[in-house]
Amino acid sequence: MRLRVEYRVGPELRFLANLDMMHAMERTLRRARVPYALSEGFNPHIRLSLGTVLPVGLWGEREYFDIELVAEMKAEKFVKQLNTVFPEGLKAAQAIAIDPSAPSIMSVVNAASYVFKVENAAAEVREQIKTMTTQPELVVPSRGKKKNRPKDLKPGIYKIKVKTEEQFDIIEVWASTGASVNVRFDELLDLMALMGLSRRRVADVWRGGNYCRVGEHFYTPMEKVKKV
Amino acid sequence: MQQKLICDILPRVSKPARYSGGELNIIKKNWDFSGVKMLLAFPDVYEVGMSHVGSKILYGLVNERTNHLLERCYAPWPDMENEMRKEGIPLYALESFQPIENFDVIGFSLQYELSLTNVLNMLDLGRIPVLAKDRELQHPIVIGGGPVCANPEPFADFFDALVIGDGEEVIVEILNLVESCRGAQRRDLLMQLARLEGVYVPSLYEVEYNHAGRCQAIRPVDSAAPKRVRRRVVKSLDAAYFPNKPVVPYMSVVHDRAVVEVMRGCQRGCRFCHAGMVYRPVRERRLKTLLDQAEAQIRSTGYDEISLVSLSTLDFSQVKPLVTELAQKYAAEGIGVALPSLRADQFSVEMASQVQKVRKTTLTLAPEAGTQRLRDAINKNVSEDQLLEAASAAFSSGWNALKLYFMIGLPGEREEDLEGISDLLFKVKHRGDELSRRKVEIRASLACFVPKAHTPFQWRAQDSIAQLQEKRRYLTRRRLKGIKLSFHDEATSYLEGTIARGDRRMGEVILRAWQKGCRFDGWSEHFRFSAWMEAFEECGVDGDTYVTRRRAYEEFLPWDIIDSGIDREFLIQEDELAERGVSSSDCRMEGCNDCGVCTSLEAELDIAEGE
Repeated sequence: MRLRVEYRVGPELRFLANLDMMHAMERTLRRARVPYALSEGFNPHIRLSLGTVLPVGLWGEREYFDIELVAEMKAEKFVKQLNTVFPEGLKAAQAIAIDPSAPSIMSVVNAASYVFKVENAAAEVREQIKTMTTQPELVVPSRGKKKNRPKDLKPGIYKIKVKTEEQFDIIEVWASTGASVNVRFDELLDLMALMGLSRRRVADVWRGGNYCRVGEHFYTPMEKVKKV
Repeated sequence: MQQKLICDILPRVSKPARYSGGELNIIKKNWDFSGVKMLLAFPDVYEVGMSHVGSKILYGLVNERTNHLLERCYAPWPDMENEMRKEGIPLYALESFQPIENFDVIGFSLQYELSLTNVLNMLDLGRIPVLAKDRELQHPIVIGGGPVCANPEPFADFFDALVIGDGEEVIVEILNLVESCRGAQRRDLLMQLARLEGVYVPSLYEVEYNHAGRCQAIRPVDSAAPKRVRRRVVKSLDAAYFPNKPVVPYMSVVHDRAVVEVMRGCQRGCRFCHAGMVYRPVRERRLKTLLDQAEAQIRSTGYDEISLVSLSTLDFSQVKPLVTELAQKYAAEGIGVALPSLRADQFSVEMASQVQKVRKTTLTLAPEAGTQRLRDAINKNVSEDQLLEAASAAFSSGWNALKLYFMIGLPGEREEDLEGISDLLFKVKHRGDELSRRKVEIRASLACFVPKAHTPFQWRAQDSIAQLQEKRRYLTRRRLKGIKLSFHDEATSYLEGTIARGDRRMGEVILRAWQKGCRFDGWSEHFRFSAWMEAFEECGVDGDTYVTRRRAYEEFLPWDIIDSGIDREFLIQEDELAERGVSSSDCRMEGCNDCGVCTSLEAELDIAEGE
C-alpha cells in the first residue's frame, strides 16, 4: 500500500540539507519498524519519496512524503508509530492511503508559500510589498543556476498576504516552484530588500506549505490525490 | 546567543548543521542539578569527531551512569571561527549552548598529532588561557587523552592533566575527584589527580636537559606524582560500558553507521604500529554481548549498517558467527554489516564478500611493504602468495577496484623494496585483468613512515623530507597503466614526527605556530609548513633532532615518563630482530613473546570464546 504523509520540520532543523532530511526520515522509518517496502537489487533502499526540497535555512510547517508499505497498516497507526520515534523537531500531522499509481508528489506540487516574519516595516514599504504584483515586472539577480542573471519573478508570484501584528509583520507569498519560473525564497528576500525591507529586520522565514495550483485554487497534496 | 546564532550567524557559514546540535539521542542533563560539568572537546571538524567511537563511549558513560554531565564541542571550521571572532561569540557546547569556560573540566580527545593547534584555538575561542600555568581557580581543568598521549611531552604545557590509556574507568574517577575537591586550590586538585593511576600532571615534573639541549630526565617535583605514569587498561572489555543509544548526526559524517567494538588491542606485533603496542593486551567481547549491543543500537539509531570495529576485526575469534548472524538477522530490513579493516588473505575476502552483497566498490588491503624481506623486518606477516590469493578472490567475486596501502621510509628500506612495490602492484593488476571482466583499477596509497613512541622503531631515524621526495620520484618514474599512486605529504609527515617523538620544548613551537595562524594542520588546504618552519626557527628548536636522528638504546626518551606496560627489553629485541629481517609470532597463536604487558599491567589476554 502507499501512504502520503504530512509532517512538520521544526525551526531547529532548518539547517538540514535535503540529503540529511532523507537520511533522518529513513532512519526514523527503521526505528519505527513500519513495514516499509525495499527496492529491488543488491543495495536495497526504502521506497520513500520526499516531496519538494526544503531549502537549507527554512523550516517547514507542512511538508510531505510518500511511502510504500509491504503490509496493510492504518494511517493513524503509522502516524502514531512515527511520532514516537521522530527526533525533536519532526512531527507527522496526518497520513492517508493513496492510489498506488497516483502521480508522485514531486510531479503535482507546483507552488509553495513562504512566510517572512519581519520586524514591523514602515507603512510605505509594507504597502509596496503588498501590492508588488501590480508592478509590470519584478526583477532580481538570479540565485539559482544562472547566477546573477536578471530574473523576473513576476510570473511566478501568485498571491501576497500581509498581516500586521504588534511587533511583527507576517508576509506570506504564494509562488511558483519548478516548471517555468522557480521562485526561491532568497530571491523573494532580495526583492523585498529592493523595496526597502532590510534583511536585518527578518526574524524568521519558513515554508508555509506546498500546493498544487489549479487556476486560482491552491490544493494541498493531501487534497489533490486519488485516495483509497 | 542561541537565537543570534540561528538567525544571524549560521545562515552565513558552510555546513551550519555542524554547529546547531539537537541531534537524535543527545542527552541534555539539567545544568544546575548535575555534578561536575565536563565538556568533551574534539579538536577537529564535526564530521570527524562524530565518527570517533571513544567519544561515543565516554558521552554515554558519564551521562547515563554518573551524576555528572558531559557535553560535546568540535573545532569550528575557519569560516565559522571568523564569524565567531567577529561577532564575539565564545565557543559553546552543542547540548546546552553554554560557553565552554563555564565547564569544570574540558577533556580533549587527542587522536592525531596535527590537531594540537586546534586545541589551542578552541581554548582561545572559549576564552580560556592556552597555557596551563596561566589558568586560575575560575578556569576549567583542561585534560587530554587518546593515543597521541603516549608521548605527552610536546603538548604538556597546555594541559593540566593527561590521561594515559583506556579512558572509561579513569574518567569517572577524575570527575568524582573534581567534585569532592570543589573549592580547593588548583594545585591541590592537580596533586590529587596525579595520584590517580593513568593520570599525568605535567606541572608536577621538571625536565632536565643536557649540554646539547637534549632532554635527559623528567623528574617529579612533588611526592604526589609517580616516577612513571602507568597506562590504564580496562581488564574486561566484555563488562565495560558501551552505548546503546549513540547520538545520530543529521549531516553526513565520516563513519555514518552503527558500530560495535568487537575487541581492543591487536597482537599481530607489527613493529611499526603504535596502536598494536599501546592497546595491548587483546581483549574481546563475547558474541552474545555484541549481538545485544548491535540490536540495541540498530533499534535506537535506525542506521542501515552496522560496523564491526577493532584494530583487526578479522582476527576476532568469533568473527564468522557474528557476521553470519548479523547479516541473516537484519537482511530483510535492508540493514547490512560492514568490516572496516581487512587482512590481506583469502579468509578476509570471503568474509567481506559475504557481507558486502553489493557495494563491491573498493576493497582495501595493506601489504605495507614491497618485498618479503622488508615485510619480515617490520613483522607484517603476510606473504606475496597470500596477498595475490586475496586479490584473486576479490576480483573473482566481483570487485573491480582494489586499494593497497604501503609505507615508504621504513627502517632498512632499499631500492629493491621500492621496486617491489611497483612489481607487486603490477602483479595484482595483472591478476585482476585476467579474472575480471572489466579492466580493474588499482590504487596505491603510500604513507611516509613516522616512528612512534613505545614501538620497536622508537629509536630509529625517520627519513628526511628530501629522502622521501626522492623515493616518491623513484616510484613515479615509470607510469603503470590502470594503477594510481597517491602519496602522503612529506612535510606533514615530518611535522607529525616532531610531535610523535618530541620533548617539552615543542610546546613553544606549537604555541608559536598557532599564533602565526596555523590550525587544521591535518587538512592540506590549511596546512602551512612555512609558518611551522618559522616557528621552529624563532623558538630555536631543531625539528631534525626529533625526526631524522637515530637514538641510542641508552638514551633517555621523553616518553619514558609513561609506562606503557611493554618492556624496554622486548622493544629492543624486536628492533634487533627487524635489523636481522626476522619476524616474530602472534602471541595468541604461538605462545607468549614476553612483551611484559600482561604482568606489568595485571591484565591478561581475554579471548574466552576462542581456542
